[in-house]
Amino acid sequence: MKNWGYTISKPRVIDLNANDREKSGALQAVEPYLRSCIGCGNCTATCTAGTITSFNIRKLQTLFRRGEFEGLRAEIDKCMLCGKCRMVCPRGINTRKMIVTIKRLLDQNPKNDRL
Amino acid sequence: MNEMMESVNTNFDPFVLPFSIGLVFLFGVVLYRYFKWFFELPFSARFQFGKKIFSWRTLNAVRECIEECLIHKSVWRRNPLLGYMHMSFALGWFLLIVVGKLETSAYIGDLVNPPYLHVFFRFFYPEESFSFHRGFNFAFLMDFLLIFVLSGLLLAIFKRVQSRVLGMKKTTKHTTGDRVAMSVLWLIFPARLLSESITCGLYQAEPLPTWLGNFMTHGLGEGLRHAFGVETLAYLELPAWWLYSIALGVFFAAMPYSRYMHIFTEIPYIFLKNYGIRSTEEPTSMDHFQLQACSCCGICIDPCQLQSAAGIGNVQSVYFIRDRRYGMLTDAVTDNCLMCGRCEVKCPVHLDLMNLRQNSRTAREGELAHNRYGYLYGADRSQGNGKIGYFAGCMTLLQPAVLESMRKIFEASSDRVWWADKEGGVCCGRPLKLSGELQAARRLMDYNVELFRKHEITTLVTSCPICLKIFKEDYGLEDIEVLHHSQYILRRIEEAKLTVVGTDTQLAYHDPCELGRGLKIYKEPRKLLSKVAFVQKFKQAKKNALCCGGSLANLQLSAPQQRAIAADAARIYAQKGAELLVTACPQCKDSFKRDSPIPVRDLAEVIAERLVVSKRDLPENIGVS
Repeated sequence: MKNWGYTISKPRVIDLNANDREKSGALQAVEPYLRSCIGCGNCTATCTAGTITSFNIRKLQTLFRRGEFEGLRAEIDKCMLCGKCRMVCPRGINTRKMIVTIKRLLDQNPKNDRL
Repeated sequence: MNEMMESVNTNFDPFVLPFSIGLVFLFGVVLYRYFKWFFELPFSARFQFGKKIFSWRTLNAVRECIEECLIHKSVWRRNPLLGYMHMSFALGWFLLIVVGKLETSAYIGDLVNPPYLHVFFRFFYPEESFSFHRGFNFAFLMDFLLIFVLSGLLLAIFKRVQSRVLGMKKTTKHTTGDRVAMSVLWLIFPARLLSESITCGLYQAEPLPTWLGNFMTHGLGEGLRHAFGVETLAYLELPAWWLYSIALGVFFAAMPYSRYMHIFTEIPYIFLKNYGIRSTEEPTSMDHFQLQACSCCGICIDPCQLQSAAGIGNVQSVYFIRDRRYGMLTDAVTDNCLMCGRCEVKCPVHLDLMNLRQNSRTAREGELAHNRYGYLYGADRSQGNGKIGYFAGCMTLLQPAVLESMRKIFEASSDRVWWADKEGGVCCGRPLKLSGELQAARRLMDYNVELFRKHEITTLVTSCPICLKIFKEDYGLEDIEVLHHSQYILRRIEEAKLTVVGTDTQLAYHDPCELGRGLKIYKEPRKLLSKVAFVQKFKQAKKNALCCGGSLANLQLSAPQQRAIAADAARIYAQKGAELLVTACPQCKDSFKRDSPIPVRDLAEVIAERLVVSKRDLPENIGVS
């Protein structure tokens, strides 16, 4: 068939009911302060890795909490754990604990390993 | 030979079996473990052992064994009563064994005799104490030693109720197994006293009145006989000796599986330590010696601010070691440590507590993805081209006042500076290392080293002690001099390249953990600050300095807990009426600033404010705060 250069985009609907949100619950149990996140993006704005790459900690944790794990494991490896995000978080979230926990939770399931 | 066999055979009673079996089991397990652990040591460590065994270090180790394992010098220094308690158990019991052996050998005239013979000597030879054999009153010495141990036992029981008298606010919460072993240990010496007294009381009644035992066993024996009569004592004698033997046997069997393994393990540990073999950042077999050499004395609990300020009571070194030793360590414990090192300087066994914590974290590191941090290359955003490099560090980048002060200082000293990371750089790698990701940290280090070499700097200045520590210890920058900003500024002032104006401001200086205990840099910041202000003296200074609670080594602490620690520390530093709380670490400054009752400054800010750049800045024209 002739390729006209048009494609059908993948649907971008996020079905939270269909997503696995068990890990999200586990993360929030470990770091309950995450529930108070207002999504201000201070963490991302100050991020050491974020100044060099498109690494986005706010987006990353939002995706994780929604149960959208695709590509997360490789993405989170960009973090240097330097702790600037923690220093600027207005809600006092232990972002370093959050990142380490997300890593461990993703590694628990070999399916998501290094996607 | 026959004679000896005869004497042994005649001096036997089945009650010695629990003791003897326990003893054989104990030495079997202990020796097996020591050999296994030793041969599992890295080759380099064993080589070092072989090389240094015939040196003065061995004599030093023997001296240290006597001072620490028997006399407990380090515990004495902390609290004399606590020291006496530990010494009475260790030295008292040791001497009971040695003197008991001499007494037995002297009396039976034969050095070769089974261990049970001198342990239960009074049972087999009650008449010895009367004979003053070879004119030496062994019985007196033995009674004296027993009362020495018993006095320690009384103190140990008292410590369970009133630990403050022995200089400890909190004592260790032991596991059930350790409690059982402890109870059995506490039973041993009263059981010995009872059985020896019964035997003395029993035999000194027979046809001729004789004096058996000595001041304690004799008196107690007499008392028991008068109270219960000879017949009751005769019934009680064997059960009492059985009790003593069983207590010993059970204790010996429990020893390798309880905290009492430290009694023997401290000896090989001290020798290995003297040969320069220590625990490292990566797990080695030396960790076994260290973990088992911990007596769980709990001296590390009181200095821990997680306990004193944040009320966390299950993560201190003693609990971490206990959990790791018994294989029940969790990440929640491993990661909940500031690694401030306050416990390490207090540890009476001088364990490498920080390295043990670090290598527990390292042990869980998985395989490193080959392309991890591949994005770093091409990330060079450095500015300037001086031979002096300034690496602010991530934390300093969030403290613009420090950065600005450093700019002023560099300008005033007319130094051309290469700014490594002012517009965004790469982390030094220490936070990753502290979280256990050693290989990942290595990638960041390699990147930074390459960057430093590319810009051909000869001196590297940083205002972050976290970066400074890893630069000095892991970067291998032999040809680049690495300085903390306090050292750099002090040097420039001493070279008269910088002029500062002195004021009578009262300062409280806080030693950051990584700079102070971590790198032993105590002198320079004080010397520098004393040029511009009056630096107050504190008990919580230098190696006893408090942590700000913000340490990157802790992956668990919540914000309120962190603030509680910072507030507590800041309150202590402010209590002498200082006008400023000065620190030398951007992380500490950030931790303190919210809850400190007095303003918090970095040392660079204090200096920059008092710089004399032109005539305008001379004392008469300056309004220094």
